[in-house]
Amino acid sequence: MRTFSIFKQTFRLPIVLWQSLFFIGPLCFTVAMSFFIVRNYRMQEDFVMKNWAKMLGRDYFWDSYFLTWGLAGIGTIVTMTVAFPAAYTLAFKVSETVRRWAIFMLIIPFFTSYLVRIFSWYVILAESGVINAGLSYLGLGPFVMLNTKFGTVVGYMTLTLPLVIILQTFALSNVDRSLVEAAFNLGCRPFRTIYRVILPMARTGLIIAAVFCFILSFGDFVSPYYLGGSKPPTLPILIVDTVKSGQQWPRAAVVAVVMMVTLFVVAFAGIMAAYRRRVG
Amino acid sequence: MVAPLVEFRSVVKRFDDFVAVEDVNFTIDAGEFVAIMGPSGCGKTTTLRMLAGLEAPSEGNILMDGRVMNDVPAHERDTPLVWQSLALFPFLTARENVEFGLQMRGVGAAECRRRALEWLDRMEISEFAERDIASLSGGQKQRVALARSLVIEPRILLLDEPLSALDANLVIRMQSVLTRLQRELGITFVYVTHSQSEAFAMADRVVIMSRGHISQIGSPKDIYRAPANRFVAEFVGRNNIIAGAVTKTAAKTVTIEGSLGSFTVQTGQHDAPRKGDVARFVVAADLAQISVKKPKSANVIPCSLISEEFIGSIVTLFLEAEDGSELKVQLQERELSKVDLKSATTTYLSWADEHGHYIGVD
Repeated sequence: MRTFSIFKQTFRLPIVLWQSLFFIGPLCFTVAMSFFIVRNYRMQEDFVMKNWAKMLGRDYFWDSYFLTWGLAGIGTIVTMTVAFPAAYTLAFKVSETVRRWAIFMLIIPFFTSYLVRIFSWYVILAESGVINAGLSYLGLGPFVMLNTKFGTVVGYMTLTLPLVIILQTFALSNVDRSLVEAAFNLGCRPFRTIYRVILPMARTGLIIAAVFCFILSFGDFVSPYYLGGSKPPTLPILIVDTVKSGQQWPRAAVVAVVMMVTLFVVAFAGIMAAYRRRVG
Repeated sequence: MVAPLVEFRSVVKRFDDFVAVEDVNFTIDAGEFVAIMGPSGCGKTTTLRMLAGLEAPSEGNILMDGRVMNDVPAHERDTPLVWQSLALFPFLTARENVEFGLQMRGVGAAECRRRALEWLDRMEISEFAERDIASLSGGQKQRVALARSLVIEPRILLLDEPLSALDANLVIRMQSVLTRLQRELGITFVYVTHSQSEAFAMADRVVIMSRGHISQIGSPKDIYRAPANRFVAEFVGRNNIIAGAVTKTAAKTVTIEGSLGSFTVQTGQHDAPRKGDVARFVVAADLAQISVKKPKSANVIPCSLISEEFIGSIVTLFLEAEDGSELKVQLQERELSKVDLKSATTTYLSWADEHGHYIGVD
């Protein structure tokens, strides 16, 4: 028989309260708001499909949707690829001390605001910035890097790269060394061992790193706004634009709900793939 | 003369300041079953790993078929290893595990499958071919690990304490599987273990290591009957090791006087000690005799019975000598019934001259 333990409930209560006050509550309100109506720049409670029809029926919404997907997707692929050699080195090639220091160094970027770090890219990426100055010595450039998709992806990586390296390092550190040696022992070349043994063994952690990377990029406002030039807008920028132009909170709520649903699907699919028992 | 299959020449392995293997020299012939035995940390696993190319020797050379292997990477050697942890790939099925080595050698998919299934069948686990590794029992995993190594048809198989995780009954079963396989395939097995019973049950030759050195190499019988030194005598166990100062040396014999008495033993292969040196000799427990009447032999130690230990038909008697040292006698249970130990207050441990085995000065 189950007994009601006050002690146990006391420990459960804060997280339940927190989640319902600051997550479930606002989420329900956002969903409800997407059916509200705006009259004379004032929002009124209602239940109409108009906002959904207006937003989903417009090309610019879908352009923005797929642009966000594309940028976050490319950002994730590039970040995962760039992070892997670093994480592999940290997990397999260096001593425990070096690994600890490296993890510590990778945490340091989070000490400062992400916005501040984004602004520092201006100095580097601007037409008269560090990179173009360097390239001009070689007779190249100048290249336009600010206010481009390239800028956006650089911004995303500023946010995600340190985190992804840390997550990948943990994922790879958990790979049993004797399995790697067993692969060598059976005639597997070191490079082939990476995709025959290390990737399958580290799969769960690597997929979770990718999911995190995608979610952070997909919902990011700062990079596409300040480094990507905000045109064409990604979904977070579209939310701000929609609110600013005529107090269209309900239409912004539609965008927000679409984003939430997308991220739910991505996160769920990612977790399923990460914990699926066998590959292929 | 045919070169030995494997030769260790003055091999040294250092990890930072720690010397794991120091000046190891030995050879292994094709078709031999060699066990490398010793307590943990003696360098036996490091020796095996160097043979597989998973560690590089710091000094010296390792040769296979007369060719120096030091710079040959692990994945270019045909030296499959059966890990203590088995190291089976958990994301592959039993069959896919066995196919792994064949795939690495560029064998076609159909041929891989055929040969993998053939080996799983030979190891009597074909019905588990498509199972996940996690769903197999310890003994079944063991067989998959063996199949995975043997399917690539190596000339030498390395085994690193493969039976240490199994329970006692299964160990005996797997021992007979291993010895039968080795005989049928005619390939060389190098078997690392800390277990004397495993090494003695299977190996043609045993290499005993201690602190990175080789203490003795010989057949199980040699090592059991004629331990070369104190370490081997103690490691093998079931021996009475008797120490004392050398009082007299003669051609081929030495007289050792200690707290248990004065005894004369043959020096055998050992150098003659000097007078006053502390020397030791061994009387194997199963070669010692026990009686209640004082025997006429010159090699007698009076002692009292402490306890008995039955293992099937064999009985080990634990005795205490007058100086407090513990001695052992091992005999058949039915022989024991002839000796009336219960009523006797003093018993006598004795041995024939030829059973005192000198193990030198340390």
